[in-house]
Amino acid sequence: MSTPLGSLDFHRLFDAAADAQLLVDEMGNVLLANESACDMFGYTQAEMLTLSVEALMPVRFRDGHCMMRNAFFQHPQKRAMGNGRELFALSRDGHELMVDIGLSPIRTEEHAFVLITMLDATRRRRAQQALEISEERLRLAKRATGLGIFDYRPQEESIELDKLARMLLGLGQDEIVTDEKLLACVHPEDRVRMREAISQAMLAEGSGEYAVELRIADRDAMRNRHLAAVGQVFFEDGKAARLVGTLRDITAQKVVNEKLKQQRAEMEALMKRQVAAQTASAIAHELNQPLAALSAYSEVALHELQQGAASEKAQRALAGCVEQAHRAGSTLHELLEFLHAGHLATAPMDLLDTVQEAIAIARTDVLDGFHASFALDPTLPPVLGNRLQVQKVLSNLVRNSLDAMSTVAMMDPGITIRVQRTATEPCMAMVTVQDSGPGFDAETAQRIFEPFFTTKSHGIGMGLAISRALIQANGGQLWADSSPGHGATFHFTLPFAE
Amino acid sequence: MSLPTVYIVDDDPAIRDALTLMLEQDRLAVETFESAEAFLSARREAASGCIIIDVRMPGMDGMHLHSELDKRHYRLPVIFLSGHGDIPMSVRAIKAGAMDFLTKPVTREKLLASVHTALRAAKAMQEHAHKTEEIKALLAELTEREREVMALAVLGHTNKEIARRLAISHRTVEIHKARIMHKTGAVNVLDLARMAQAGELPPASAV
Repeated sequence: MSTPLGSLDFHRLFDAAADAQLLVDEMGNVLLANESACDMFGYTQAEMLTLSVEALMPVRFRDGHCMMRNAFFQHPQKRAMGNGRELFALSRDGHELMVDIGLSPIRTEEHAFVLITMLDATRRRRAQQALEISEERLRLAKRATGLGIFDYRPQEESIELDKLARMLLGLGQDEIVTDEKLLACVHPEDRVRMREAISQAMLAEGSGEYAVELRIADRDAMRNRHLAAVGQVFFEDGKAARLVGTLRDITAQKVVNEKLKQQRAEMEALMKRQVAAQTASAIAHELNQPLAALSAYSEVALHELQQGAASEKAQRALAGCVEQAHRAGSTLHELLEFLHAGHLATAPMDLLDTVQEAIAIARTDVLDGFHASFALDPTLPPVLGNRLQVQKVLSNLVRNSLDAMSTVAMMDPGITIRVQRTATEPCMAMVTVQDSGPGFDAETAQRIFEPFFTTKSHGIGMGLAISRALIQANGGQLWADSSPGHGATFHFTLPFAE
Repeated sequence: MSLPTVYIVDDDPAIRDALTLMLEQDRLAVETFESAEAFLSARREAASGCIIIDVRMPGMDGMHLHSELDKRHYRLPVIFLSGHGDIPMSVRAIKAGAMDFLTKPVTREKLLASVHTALRAAKAMQEHAHKTEEIKALLAELTEREREVMALAVLGHTNKEIARRLAISHRTVEIHKARIMHKTGAVNVLDLARMAQAGELPPASAV
């Protein structure tokens, strides 16, 4: 029994609901439909009340629905309809609508009803589909590029890694990853670099960009794999909250680069040897000609004198001797002049910059598995010199140090470069390049600047001779100290620009 | 016959001058050229003597000049002078027919020895060429029939066989042969065979 007032309240309440609602009996007849439901389906309220609930769904679902409706009324239970399937409703004009449907059983003493609440799910479904597509694309992209993904939350001490990232790092799929475990995957020599890169990226005033190349010690393959890690730090309240990024295996690329570098070095060495051989051959020819003439003239003169007559022939031969001796001499002078040819263009230059550049060149040109430390006097005024030549000398010295250090197994090959004022000469700056290699003995120290002297298996022994000539041409000096077992030290000086 | 001359081809004037003095001291005639091209354009086809060639010259180099001389049938023994004792190059030069390969600086003793060897070779070559010319002149005196008989005789055929081959009488062959021996001055068939080879007598046809 319903009171007029109660009936009024119920209808208002029912109509006011934002969700579309229908009241349906056991036979499937629509008994009540609120305004939202009428709007959704495009029927008037009066029309709605003549319909069965099956009329509100596409034909293909109708037969099945009658059975399910009976099943529902046998075990009435408040629940969502469809068990996660996509549900479709049919509007008056024949459009299908994607809907989410909730079912609430209502029982009176004689009758059973169901209150159906419907939500237009089109937008939600589209968003979900879009998300699925986007995730599928990401998955494909990850697979195609071989990118592993990491997600690090320092405050929660959580590290999430996807399948590929775990594979790349050599971690098990179910292993719980801690900071220590992650660090243990990385080659010991690269751990400091990785930590430095992370703290750099997490600086509040920085760009938050994280990029580092690391080696992973692969016990199975018996060699190192190279990974490139690239990521971005997200900040919350000025603190680094997340570091998300990708890992990529760049071993093959590294191997190719290494091979190219090696080939280039071999080519360069070959060319240098060839140039040296050609130069030596040219010098030999230039000197041999006057010597050959001298020898012939001398014999002619000697023969004449042996015959006992100081003839015109003997005079001509001796004059030829003198001339050819002069020719040999001036050929030598020309050669020396040629070797020092070219007007030297000098300009004021910052030694500190030049040192940094030379190290950068050495890193890209040779290898970067070394540690460079600097002791640079920032108050140093500019020096006067030819920038390219000074750079050439510095990279020669650095390269020599690296070569020397590579001949012995070393935990942490290091080069120290100091730039300071000279104690004895106030107008000169001094650059010192010191390595932690095997150094050399006194005899080698004596000969080390001689042309064609070398201790390397591949080398023509011109590097230090040329370096010394270049520094002298720039108005400085280049010398070496060494005690065996304590590394090699080279110093050179350059005049200040003032 | 012109006087044997030592030709020097070298781009270095001092070397040319010094070597000239050295050779003139030994009473040899010397002519010098500053390049391979200069020597070739002097057109000395009938030159006699030997030639000293510098290996390394701007323009046409020594090895090239040698092959050019061969092509033009110059009969000059070649002595190479090189700045350094390049063994593969000297082997190539000798294989190509050079007499000697000397390295600068060269001693008087070595140069003169080499030059005299070359001049002796030149003389022998010239004598040989001269003899060939003489024999050719003798063979030219023979009649067509006599040359036919001679060609068969030097192959070792008997007079009877020659008669049958040429379809002439045995007696006629004997007369031809006697004339051939007389004209050439050969003392026997072996001598005749040597002349046929040296004088490039066309061989008898097979049948």
